[in-house]
Amino acid sequence: MNYTLSSLIFLPLLAALVVLLLPTRMQQGIKAVTLGGTVLQLAVAVWLYLSFDGASVANGQTGYQFVEKLNWIGFSLGNLGRFQIEYFVGVDGVSIGMVLLTGIVGMIGVISSWNIAKNVKGYFLLYLLLMTSVMGCFLALDFFLFYLFFEFMLLPMYFLIGIWGGPKREYAALKFFIYTLIGSLFILVVMIGLYTSVIDPEATAQQMGLVGENVPASLDLIRQVQQMLQQGTIAQADLVRTFSIPAMMEPANFIPGSLLHIFSGVSLFDLPIRFVAFLLVLAGFLIKVPSVPVHTWLPDAHVEAPTPISVLLAAILLKVGGYGLIRIVYPVFPDAGAYFSTFVGGLGVLSIIYGALCALAMNDLKKLIAYSSVSHMGFVLLGLASLTNEGVNGAIYMMFSHGLISAMLFLVVGVIYDRAHDRMILNFRGLAKRMPAYTAFVVIAFFASLGLPGFSGFIAELLVLLGSFSAPEATGMLPRWMAVVAVIGLLLSAAYYLWALQRMFFGKYWIFPELREKAIISDLTSREYLMLVPLAVLAFAFGIFPHLLLDKTGMSVTGFTELVLRNGQEQLNILQAILHR
Amino acid sequence: MEEQAAYLTQAIDSILAGAGSLLPELLLAIFFLLLVTLDLFKSKTIKRLLPWVALTGLFSVLVLLVLDRNLAEVQFLNLLRSDGIARYAGILFSLTGIFTILLSLQNPKIEKRKQGEGRGEFYALILMLVLGLNLMAKSVNLLMVFLAIEVVSIASYILTLTLKEEKRAVEAGLKYVLYGTLSAGVMLYGMSFFYGLTGSLDYTLVSFWRSLLDASPLMVTVAAILVFAGFLFKISAAPFHFWTPDVYQGAPMPIVALFSTGPKMAGIIVILRFVAAFADPNVASAFSDVQLFLGIAALATLAVGNFTALWQRTPRRLMAFSSVSHAGFLLMALLAFGSDYTVSVLFYMTVLVFMNFGMFLFLQMAEENWQVRTLEDFQGMGARIPFAGVLALLYLLSLTGLPPLAGFMGKLLVFSNVWEAYTATGQPMLLMLLVAGILLTGVALFYYIKIPYYLFLKRNHTDENLVISLSNKLLLVLFALPLLVFFFKPDLLLHWIEKLLA
Repeated sequence: MNYTLSSLIFLPLLAALVVLLLPTRMQQGIKAVTLGGTVLQLAVAVWLYLSFDGASVANGQTGYQFVEKLNWIGFSLGNLGRFQIEYFVGVDGVSIGMVLLTGIVGMIGVISSWNIAKNVKGYFLLYLLLMTSVMGCFLALDFFLFYLFFEFMLLPMYFLIGIWGGPKREYAALKFFIYTLIGSLFILVVMIGLYTSVIDPEATAQQMGLVGENVPASLDLIRQVQQMLQQGTIAQADLVRTFSIPAMMEPANFIPGSLLHIFSGVSLFDLPIRFVAFLLVLAGFLIKVPSVPVHTWLPDAHVEAPTPISVLLAAILLKVGGYGLIRIVYPVFPDAGAYFSTFVGGLGVLSIIYGALCALAMNDLKKLIAYSSVSHMGFVLLGLASLTNEGVNGAIYMMFSHGLISAMLFLVVGVIYDRAHDRMILNFRGLAKRMPAYTAFVVIAFFASLGLPGFSGFIAELLVLLGSFSAPEATGMLPRWMAVVAVIGLLLSAAYYLWALQRMFFGKYWIFPELREKAIISDLTSREYLMLVPLAVLAFAFGIFPHLLLDKTGMSVTGFTELVLRNGQEQLNILQAILHR
Repeated sequence: MEEQAAYLTQAIDSILAGAGSLLPELLLAIFFLLLVTLDLFKSKTIKRLLPWVALTGLFSVLVLLVLDRNLAEVQFLNLLRSDGIARYAGILFSLTGIFTILLSLQNPKIEKRKQGEGRGEFYALILMLVLGLNLMAKSVNLLMVFLAIEVVSIASYILTLTLKEEKRAVEAGLKYVLYGTLSAGVMLYGMSFFYGLTGSLDYTLVSFWRSLLDASPLMVTVAAILVFAGFLFKISAAPFHFWTPDVYQGAPMPIVALFSTGPKMAGIIVILRFVAAFADPNVASAFSDVQLFLGIAALATLAVGNFTALWQRTPRRLMAFSSVSHAGFLLMALLAFGSDYTVSVLFYMTVLVFMNFGMFLFLQMAEENWQVRTLEDFQGMGARIPFAGVLALLYLLSLTGLPPLAGFMGKLLVFSNVWEAYTATGQPMLLMLLVAGILLTGVALFYYIKIPYYLFLKRNHTDENLVISLSNKLLLVLFALPLLVFFFKPDLLLHWIEKLLA
């Protein structure tokens, strides 16, 4: 077996162990080890990205590359069969971009953390733990493993915000923790429901003695087992329940009589129970995305978090939400995904507009950018809900591009905050005079984010809009006005960025008198160049050569949309037939 | 005369046949007597040896139970049943006893006080309590249940009063005795109803349940409620939990740790045996009132435990309500009739032992060495005790039920059972329990996180490191390790429990 993915996940953990063993006073050593760990992680991620074969056919259930699969926890439930949890990781077109992004931003975050003075050891330990869990989250194909990493992200984040954050850090950290924990509890309910309903056909075949242990079952055999399952001819004790996400995508793997089986006919609050389950996981991931109306933790967390943590939060952690929707929510509940597409798309549009309007009203530059994140994440929802190839590709592209650009934006805010210990837009004017290079990067970041052609944000928004415009004909999802309204969001984002730019950077140089004593307004340092230049170059490169990412995602996305549309329509018909009976 | 003689020989025969199964209890009783006797000597060396004698006793019982190859089920006179459940429970009880003594050895107050007087009595009573717990887990007869519970209770009353010169200890002891005797009386009253209705005290008999089916439903419900009142008191479930915070405030920390695990687990096993008859859907449907009552009790326990914990200002009271909420989770597991919940319950209880003892050891250190009385006193301590602070965080997260700690596994198993049972029966009560249980986990985070919040997020001006003794450090690790191991490899333990139960 190939251990590339495991090394990606556990390299930071290894570095964390080294950091743990280093004495507290060796601050430079600790920083160097952390940087080394993340650089290595980035190197592996780049290698993975280069050797990932984007042309191989993926249909959601198969087509994962670099797969590692090991039995982890297996336990007999007596007369109810067995359940098994696997260490099951793999990468496909949906995750490859996220992995690369995590590698890039992870390393830049370390550079940005170089100035951390308080409790250096604790900080970098938590940072590395966070990197491990984020990477694990993007690579896990077993729901349990995914959930483990998903929940474990909260803890380092809570302390990183709560200890190293701004004045209201305790409040923001707690709000972040409680919000996302509630989200993950919703996910937990559905996870329990799913694993008690779904079997692993291969392991079941082994359990039944149809095939020897550790011998891969043939496709025919798997079909046969699935048929027997649906006819109810497999003994309860032979059923092997699984957390494997690809197994959950296949309707034939659901145990007849289980609540989430398509024929279960159970309804809660006048909705089929599958819809309720869909809404629960959806809510869980929407909190993470975040989408309006469950976004309120984000501005607080962003404002209070130290710069590098804001960068990580915006660039990677938010992506876990969107990624979860693509990886788990839609493929496992395609029927509900199709049924609720207008609702999800509507939330997307709402986030786009409401986020942009809030951003327009903000006086704090960091809050402005936080709300612009909400607005941009709305595009991810819209693209996904369209269920067209363009739309879903656009959603993935948006996540990747927003990762690069939001990292840049928060770094840029960090620069001014480091110098003036303030970031209120109205307290500054004409900064371009004193900080020309800085202003150049601000302009790049703002323009990239508002979707100027030539930057990656443009490609993403274009694809999402194309997808949502064509959705009514292509897939029958989303009313057309949504795409139209989303365009207004683009205008609004141009407005708040340009207005902020005009107020802060142009005109005559002036800063708020009370800030003058402490503020040392100087241009970028070499460390800051080191962080900003690569991000700007990447945002540019992915704006000019979109195929760099689209070539990798294309086949997986086609597989995804086909799976969701085909299964979704079939199952929706069944559900409606049952409901109307 | 002849007949009586024949009956007598028969009785003696069955006593002898079953007596072997009571070896652990006999051992405990022997060590109990040994401790009481040794306590009569005035020699300081002997006094110093007393806890170690008690440890030897508990440890030998533990080894006996773990290594015994005989897995057969033995019944003693329709009173006590030695089966896999009892055996595993016995292992857990011996562990709790051992841990309690280890904590007591680290407690300066108990150690100092006991130099002169009554040192033996403290450790002897712990043995007696463990003996009572073992009997509770083995009882299959209402009268035996009552006797076993009383053995535990009497030991508990005295142990609560260990530090009798402290006012709050006296208050706690008095409250405990009053509540305890009342609930014992109520329970006995209920049992007498059952006896009157069925003519039997052996609730494992089919005839017991059959005659209950014939009896007036109202009478049965009243009797069941009265009996369960006694059980719920023991596991500190709502609405019989009022003694919990006071006792947790007044008793010495090791004894609090013992109360939060031992009697709770034994009570749960008593209920588990009692409701075992409900695994048969026919019986269960006939007693839906009892189930409803239990379901409401579980819901109330979960709600009261979690919400009241939110307002607590001292770590002891916080842990008291945390222990109430865990009783709620265990009760909830017991209601998942039809699913194979025994293994999950035993697993959950095992995890509970380690996380509670870990947390109470930490609180004992905080209270005795660093004078922490309220949650605010933890302010900024994290930087001064990084090692203990991180481990405390571990225990608390496990108590909340977050991965990667065994508390999560315990909850996952329990929730899975409830889901299974809901799939099978479609009872709305189960769904409500599931939803409440999961959402209250979010609430639980809110209060558990308070301690790490003060430890790490709040700052204090002094920064010098506080010294932690090596023995305390080792104990902290001892309690933390299983929490990680049982998360990453729960099947190790699950397989073993399964083998014992088979």
